[in-house]
Amino acid sequence: MSSVVARPETKRRGANLAKWISIGVPSLFFGAFFLGPLIYLILLGFWRVENYRIVESYSFDNYIDIAQNLFAGSNYGYAIAQTLYVAATTAIAAVALCYPMALAIVFAVPQRYQRLVVLLAVAPFWTSYILRVYAWQVLLARKGVINAALSYVGFNEASIEFLYTQTATRIGLIHYLAPILLVILYVAINNVDRTLIEAARQIGATRLQVLWRVIVPLSRTGIILSLSFSALVACGDVLSGSILGGGAGQSLIGKLPLFADMIIRAYTSSTNLPNTAALAILLVVIMLLILGVAYWLTERFRINVK
Amino acid sequence: MSDDQTVETTTVSSAVTTPVATEKPAGLVSRRTLLAGAAAVVGSNITIINKSKAATTLKVLAWPGYDEKPVVGEFEEANKIKVEFKNYIGGEQMLQYFAQVPKGTFDAIISDAEYIQKFVAQGALDPMDPKAFKNLADYHPKYQNFPLLSAPEGKTWGIATRFSCYGISYNKKHVSPEEVDTWQCLLLPKYKGKIVMFDWYLPNMSNASLAVFPNNEAPYDITDAQLAEVKNWMMKVRPQIRSFAAQNQGLVSALANEDALLTPYGDMDIEMTVAGYDNFVSHIPKEGSIRWTEAACLCKDSTNKEMALKWIDYMSGAKVQSNLVYTKGFKARAPNMKVTQFWNAEQTKLMSYVPDPAAPGKMIVETMIEKSYPRGLPVKQPDSAWIGIYNAFKTA
Repeated sequence: MSSVVARPETKRRGANLAKWISIGVPSLFFGAFFLGPLIYLILLGFWRVENYRIVESYSFDNYIDIAQNLFAGSNYGYAIAQTLYVAATTAIAAVALCYPMALAIVFAVPQRYQRLVVLLAVAPFWTSYILRVYAWQVLLARKGVINAALSYVGFNEASIEFLYTQTATRIGLIHYLAPILLVILYVAINNVDRTLIEAARQIGATRLQVLWRVIVPLSRTGIILSLSFSALVACGDVLSGSILGGGAGQSLIGKLPLFADMIIRAYTSSTNLPNTAALAILLVVIMLLILGVAYWLTERFRINVK
Repeated sequence: MSDDQTVETTTVSSAVTTPVATEKPAGLVSRRTLLAGAAAVVGSNITIINKSKAATTLKVLAWPGYDEKPVVGEFEEANKIKVEFKNYIGGEQMLQYFAQVPKGTFDAIISDAEYIQKFVAQGALDPMDPKAFKNLADYHPKYQNFPLLSAPEGKTWGIATRFSCYGISYNKKHVSPEEVDTWQCLLLPKYKGKIVMFDWYLPNMSNASLAVFPNNEAPYDITDAQLAEVKNWMMKVRPQIRSFAAQNQGLVSALANEDALLTPYGDMDIEMTVAGYDNFVSHIPKEGSIRWTEAACLCKDSTNKEMALKWIDYMSGAKVQSNLVYTKGFKARAPNMKVTQFWNAEQTKLMSYVPDPAAPGKMIVETMIEKSYPRGLPVKQPDSAWIGIYNAFKTA
């Protein structure tokens, strides 16, 4: 009986096929569901509407219109400033809140229960985002649950007016982001080499010193990833800004709408899809800049393991 | 309903039929056509009609509400036909849908009155004979001959089906009726941060136009200088605004929780009563307010005009309008004044079809009609100029 032995050439062909499939399928998916729509959105931004029909025109009219309305007329620039401010503060607050929780899971929870705790922490993610936003509306309203509780304990006049401010927007966003950030930060902290922590302790470092000089630096990629992810989500979100922020909620820089909210209103008011697409491209560019900064930071503080 | 009357229309978001595409022979679809088709896909969910079954259905482009069973069910049963609805949520969206489908796709349209002239200009509608609609005799006189429905050429292009008015809705525990008799109450210092506004430029700016130029029957037909005055007035109102709501829910929530005490938006007394709050009133200020109207229109390229006319006649009836304006999720007013025959006393009172103590011999709803002006579109400026001013107001 002779055994069948694959010839080297057949093996090579098989390996090549596997390589092309492994590259080709994701590429097709990426092309069809990300690159294609993005290219289409870019093209659409150059077109115009005539008699309620979209017409190809390849002009910069939409972008010129946006540029003219940056700090006059529609004041898109102010909305962009509000978005960047809310996104940045949301990202910092979300990471500041989730990092200690991730730390606690890694170092205070027995390892065999850690996955269960992470699963429980992520549980809110499986509920509808819009329901969570409406729930916060009930909690934060002037006659809502929080103020009712304050009144019950003696503060008769409701004193907290979070609703319809950008603080409420941030609360909605952080509630949305927290489960995702917890997972990212848990993985980042869990991957910190324990021998380095033990070594630091053995040479006399306090717990706080270990945290600041070992754990935080070694988990900074996760921190940067969390910050950039939070900022990107906050830039593109409409629901929290509209329902909790009241469309143009107060922040330190004024009562201004978020840019994503303005994009939605631009479309519903005029149904001018090319103009809306140009506004959306501007938002995409802002998001790419955020990603670029995150990438630069990650490279700048890359951990060199030798 | 037999199988051959089953719905053969599919609403999809991944396919589209555009006029350009249908005119080209198979295999000759150009890049331009493909891109235009894709544009339509992104801009709308287009209804693709199986034309072989089209005769067994009536196809209507309409606001939500007309497709509800208590509204359309009786017509479908009596005529053994299925009425297919393609819903839109805005006049501009309606025009865009209509422009992007082949001729003959729709048999009838429910249009906001101000957009009917645009349809007529496109040659999309057929005029109707008002004598054929016996229910018009039961309509409020202003709706028996409503200018926006009979222009241009004085022909009848639409039959009114429902309407309502903007105004000021307020919490009567904190706001007095005397104060809200003028739009200027929105500027009172004590209401700073106590106003919630529906987030749409058209009614807000036209009400502002009336506040600055009281009882102007054409608040949309103003000069650039007048528009600048309207903008100035709106800028004074801006610090008073606590929040903008994209939907009624946002208004209800803000009013119910007393985050806001008043809103320049009508009918919230009805919404709040339905939500369990009896301390809200709506009022049209002495300067007047805006009234929106929907009307049923006959499509010129309909292949089923006889049935379409029958449906329009049906929609003019008191019984169907009593259901149409009193759906679970949305309340409005009916131009057919005999709707009260189908309501109980509570409904009749809630909808304001009761005597007006301030105007003997009239119902409150009649006073509302007389104090309000039809909603229109900017006349002397492009829409974008008004939207720009509204954005400036919002970002001020």
